[in-house]
Amino acid sequence: MAKATKPIVNDQLSYKKPSFWQLLVQNKTLILMCTPAIIFFFVFSYMPMPGAYIAFTNFQYNKGIFGSPFVGLQNFKFLFMSGQLTLLLKNTVLYNIAFILLGNILQLMFAILLNEVACKWFKKTTQSMMFLPYFISDVLVSLLVYNLLNYDYGFISNAVRNLGGQMAKVYQMPNAWPIIIVLVNLWKGTGYGTVVYFAAITGMDTSMMEAAQIDGANGFQRIRYITLPTLKPTVVILFLFAIGGILKGNFGLFYNLVGNNSMLFKTTDIIETYVYRSMMNSFNFAQSSAVGLFQSVVGFFIVIAANAFAKKLDPDYALF
Amino acid sequence: MSKGPANQAPVILNHPKKIKLDMSDRIIRGVTYVLVSLFSICCIIPFWMVIASSFSTEEAIRRTGFTLWPTDFSLFSYELLFRSPDQMLGAYAVTVSLAVVGTLLGLFIISMTGYALQRKDFPFRNGIMFYIYFTSLFSAGLVPFYLLMKQTLNLADTYWAILLPLLMSPWLIVLMKNFVKAIPHEITESGKIDGAGDFRIFWALILPSLKPALATIGLFLALGYWNEWYYSSLFLSSKVEYRPLQYHLYNVINKVASLKNSVAGSNVVLDDLPGETLKMATACVATGPIILLYPFVQKYFVAGLTVGSVKG
Amino acid sequence: MKKLVALMMAMLMVLACVPAMAEIDTSEHVVITYLVTGDIPSNRTDEVLAKMNEKLTEKVNAELAVHWIEWTDWTTKYNLALATQSGDIDLIGTATDWLNAWPNIQKGAFLPLSEEMLQTYAPQTWANVPAENWELCKYNGEIYLIPEDEYSQWTNHGFLYRGDWAKEAGLENGVHSWEDLGKYFQYIKENKEGVIPWDANGNGSSYAPQMAGGWQTSHTPNVYIEGIGVDLFYGESKDNPYTLSTYYIEGDELVNFATEMKKWADAGYWRTDVLNYTGDVMAEMYEGLTGAHQHHTQTWTGERTKMAEKQPGSDVGFFWFGEEMSNVVGLNITHGAMAVAMTSKNPERALMVYDLMRNDPEIYRLMQYGIEGDMYTVDENGYIVRPEGWNDGTMGVSLNYWWGRRDELELRSADRDWEAIDALYAEYEKVKINYPYGRVVFDLSNIQMYLDNLSNVYNTYMPRIVFGMVDDPAAFVAEFRDQLKAAGIDLCMQEIQNQINAAYGL
Repeated sequence: MAKATKPIVNDQLSYKKPSFWQLLVQNKTLILMCTPAIIFFFVFSYMPMPGAYIAFTNFQYNKGIFGSPFVGLQNFKFLFMSGQLTLLLKNTVLYNIAFILLGNILQLMFAILLNEVACKWFKKTTQSMMFLPYFISDVLVSLLVYNLLNYDYGFISNAVRNLGGQMAKVYQMPNAWPIIIVLVNLWKGTGYGTVVYFAAITGMDTSMMEAAQIDGANGFQRIRYITLPTLKPTVVILFLFAIGGILKGNFGLFYNLVGNNSMLFKTTDIIETYVYRSMMNSFNFAQSSAVGLFQSVVGFFIVIAANAFAKKLDPDYALF
Repeated sequence: MSKGPANQAPVILNHPKKIKLDMSDRIIRGVTYVLVSLFSICCIIPFWMVIASSFSTEEAIRRTGFTLWPTDFSLFSYELLFRSPDQMLGAYAVTVSLAVVGTLLGLFIISMTGYALQRKDFPFRNGIMFYIYFTSLFSAGLVPFYLLMKQTLNLADTYWAILLPLLMSPWLIVLMKNFVKAIPHEITESGKIDGAGDFRIFWALILPSLKPALATIGLFLALGYWNEWYYSSLFLSSKVEYRPLQYHLYNVINKVASLKNSVAGSNVVLDDLPGETLKMATACVATGPIILLYPFVQKYFVAGLTVGSVKG
Repeated sequence: MKKLVALMMAMLMVLACVPAMAEIDTSEHVVITYLVTGDIPSNRTDEVLAKMNEKLTEKVNAELAVHWIEWTDWTTKYNLALATQSGDIDLIGTATDWLNAWPNIQKGAFLPLSEEMLQTYAPQTWANVPAENWELCKYNGEIYLIPEDEYSQWTNHGFLYRGDWAKEAGLENGVHSWEDLGKYFQYIKENKEGVIPWDANGNGSSYAPQMAGGWQTSHTPNVYIEGIGVDLFYGESKDNPYTLSTYYIEGDELVNFATEMKKWADAGYWRTDVLNYTGDVMAEMYEGLTGAHQHHTQTWTGERTKMAEKQPGSDVGFFWFGEEMSNVVGLNITHGAMAVAMTSKNPERALMVYDLMRNDPEIYRLMQYGIEGDMYTVDENGYIVRPEGWNDGTMGVSLNYWWGRRDELELRSADRDWEAIDALYAEYEKVKINYPYGRVVFDLSNIQMYLDNLSNVYNTYMPRIVFGMVDDPAAFVAEFRDQLKAAGIDLCMQEIQNQINAAYGL
C-alpha cells in the first residue's frame, strides 16, 4: 500500500510544479501532432530569417549576405527622407482599416443573412456568383473600371451623355478614388471572405437556435443574441490577423487601378507604389528588404498591443 | 456517450419552416433576397463580360469596349492559348495534382495542429502559437528565401518547391484552431475517459465533426495551389517541362507583350497578336475548372446539417 | 612543287596554331550555361541548338545550354539569378542600359577577364574589338564585358507617322519637327473621323523619359547620360559633353514643353484619360484608328513593311527626336554585351564557346537564322528569304543572342524597305556622335537614396507634363523643380559632375 501511495503523492507534487521535461513527456502526443507544423515553419520561415540582415548591408553578390559590408540604417533612409512618409503611412493605414472593417461587416452580413434564407438553390447560386470576382486579376479589374469610368468612351460617360448630363472626369478626381478602390476591394473579396463566416455559422450549436425559436425569439433577436455572439471569436481573430499587415498594401490592386496617374496620388499612394516608383530603375534587394522589415516591425508592435488588449477582454480571444 | 463520431443530431432541419414566420423574419428574408441578388448581379455581370469579350476579336474590343455578347465572334485567343495543347494539358495536370496532394496533406497537418493548439490542457499551446504566428509578421525577404530553396534545400526545378511552401500558413492554422474550439470540450473528455489517446481522439472523434472547417480550409488551400504563379516563376526554370497553370498563362500573356515591345530591339516579325482578349481568355481558362469545385464545398455550408453539440 | 608548297603551308599553319592551342586542355566535355532573357521557345530552337552543339563539341568539346529568364517578373528573376549564382551559369547576356551591367559589376556578379584570358580563349573576339572599345568595358582597370561593337542598330526614339496623311496635311516632306508633328496631329483631329491623332497608352512609365528627352534633344544640344536610373542628367552638348546641363533645374525650355503639351492635350490629340489607358497603339495603327506611335528606329524598320500591308499606301515615316538640332548619339557599344559569371566553373571554355558564337559563320548563322536550305535561303542580293508561310514563333529559332552580333555575319531580311532604311541610317551617320560617356562608370552608392527620391519625383510629375495634364504649365514646372531641389538634385549633379571630371581627367 505504501508503495502505491508514494507515487500518488509524487504525482500530486509534480502536478503542482511539473518540470519542463515532465510536461514534455506528459504531452508527447500533442507535441508530436504539432511537430510537422513546427518543422515546417522552422525550415521555411525561421531558417532563412537571419538573412533579413541583408537590410543592413550593402549587399555584394560575390560576398554573400553575411560577408557584405554592414551599412547600418542606410537602406532605411530613403523612405524617411522622402518627406512623403506621413502621407504614405496615412493612406496605407486608412485603406487597410477600411478594407478590414467594411470587408468584415459585409462578409458577416451576407453570411448571416444567407443563413436565414431557406431556399437552397438561391443560397448556392448566389454564393457561387459572389465568388467569381475573386478570379478576375487586377489587370482585368483595372480594364473593367477603365471601361466603366473613362471620360471619352466609358460606359457611364456614354450613359450620362445620352441622358443629356455632363460626365465628371473621374480619373482627375483624387477624392473619388478611395471610394472606388474600397468598392473594388469589397467586390473582389466578399465572396472569399464570406466562406469563413459560413463555416463558423455552420459549426454553430444548433440546439441554441432551436431553443431560441421555441422560446419565441424573432429573427432580429436570434441574430443579435445567438448568431453574432457565436461569431465573435472568429471576428476577433480575423481582425487580429489582419492588423499585423496594416502597413502592407496590395500593390497589384493600387498599381493597376491608378498606374502613374499622379493626379490621384494624394489619396491613392501607398508604401508599395511609392517604393516601386523610387526603385524602378535601380534594382536593390537590400533596400526592398529594409522596407519590408520596417513594415513588419511596426505591424509587430501593433499586433502585440492588440493581442494584449484582446486578452484583457477575454483570454480566449487572444491569438497567443 | 461512447466513442465513434459525435452523434448526428438531425433534430431540426430547415427550422424556419416549422415555426411560423413572424414579421422580423419576413423583413430579414426580404432584405436578404434584395441585397444578395443585387450584389450577385454586380459580381456576375463583369465576369460575364470577360467571358463574352474573350470570344470577340481584338478589333471589336477596341472599338466597342466590353459588351454582354461577343462582337465579331472569334476563337483566336483560345487558339493561341492552346497552340501547344500538350503544354496546356500538362499545366492543368500539374496544377490539379499539386492541388490535390497539397490540400490533403495540408489539411491533415493543419487540423492536427489546430486541434492540439486549442486544447486548454496543453501547456505549450501559447508558445507554439506564437512561434507559428510570428512567421506571419516577419519574413526573411526574397534573397534569403531564394537561397534557402535553391541552395540549402536544393528544391529548384522540382515540384516540391511549389508543393511545400503552400502547405500551410499561420492564418489557416489559427482559423482551424478557432473552428475546432467550437466543438465542445466534452468530446475530448469523453474520449479520454474511454482511454483513447490524443491522436485517436483527434482522428476518430474530432475530424468527423470538422467537416465545414475542413471544407473551408481545404478550399483556401486548393485556391492557393490553383492560383500559384509566384513560386513557379522563381523556382521552376526552363528545365521543367510542365509548369503550373497560372504561371503558364502569365507566360503566354507576357510573351505577347514582350514581342510587342521588344526590349532589346530585336528583329522579330510579329503576327497579329491579341493582347486584351488573350487576357480575358486566360481568366476564363483559369477560372472554369475551379469554379466547378465550389458546389462540392458548398454543401458543407448549409447550416443545420452538422452538429456542434453533445447532449446529455 | 605544289606538294612542297602545300607541305610548307601546312607546317606554317601548325606552327601558327600549336603554341596557342596546345596549352588549352579540352579533354573534358563541359556544358556551358548561357543566361538570357526571353521566353522558352516553342519553335525549332532545340533542334537547332543540338546542331550547334555538335559543332561546338567538335571544335571545343563543349555544349551550350540555355537558362531562360522568362518575361514574367523578369527584372527580379534576372537579378536574383545573378545574386545567388553557384556555378550554375557561365555566360550572361547583359547591357549597361537596360540590364544594369555596371551595378552588377560593382556588386561582384561578373568575372574580371584578363587580357591574357581573352587573347588565349577568345582570340578572334580579342582581335576584332579595338583597344579603345575594350577600354569602355573596364571597371577599376579590369575588363568585365565583351561589347556588341560590330553591329549597327539604331534604337533612338521618335514617332512613327503615316506619310500619306502627312502629305494630305500639307507636309510634303513628312514630319521633321515637333512643330510638324503638331500640324500633323491637328490635321488628323480635324479631318479623320473617329481617329485619335496619337492614342497613347500612357499607363506605362516609359513615355515620360522618351517624350521629355525627345523634346529636350530636339530643342537643346543636350546629350543623354545613361546608367543613372533617373533621366534627369544630360551633358551640355556634343562639343561640351562633360559639363552637366541644367535643363531640369532652370531655363524656359521645360516650361515650353509643358505649355505645348498642354495645348496638345486640350486640342484632344490623345484621350482625356490617357494616363490610365492601356491599349495597343501599334495595333490601332494597323486598323487606321490612330495616326502615330512613339517608339524607336528599329521598330520603325519592321512596322513600315507591316503597315504597307495593313494600310496600303500608308508610307510610314519616322520623325526622330533631335532631328531639328541634328542631335543624335550612336548606340553605346555595351547596349548589348556578354559577361562571364563570377562563379563559372569553366570560364575558359565559356569564352571559347562565345568566341565561336560570335565569330564562326556557321555557328553564328545557325544560332541567328536556323538551318540553311530548310529554314531560310539567301537570295542573289544576299538577303535572307524565309519559306512560304513562315512563322517565326513556330518554325524559327530564338536564342535571343543580343550580346555580340556582327554586321559582317548578319543577313538582311528581304522583306524590309532597305532603300528607306538605308537613307535614314545615312542621315544618322552624317550627324551622329559616338556615346561620349563610355569611360565613366558611375559609383552611385553615396547618392543612391537621393536618386531614389528623385526617381519618385520624376515619375510623379513628368507623366503629367508629358500629357499636358496640368492647369498652369509654368507653375507646375516650378513645383516640379522645387521638389527636385528638395529631393537633392543639386547634390546628385555635383557628385555626377565630379565622377565625370575624374574619369576624363578634367
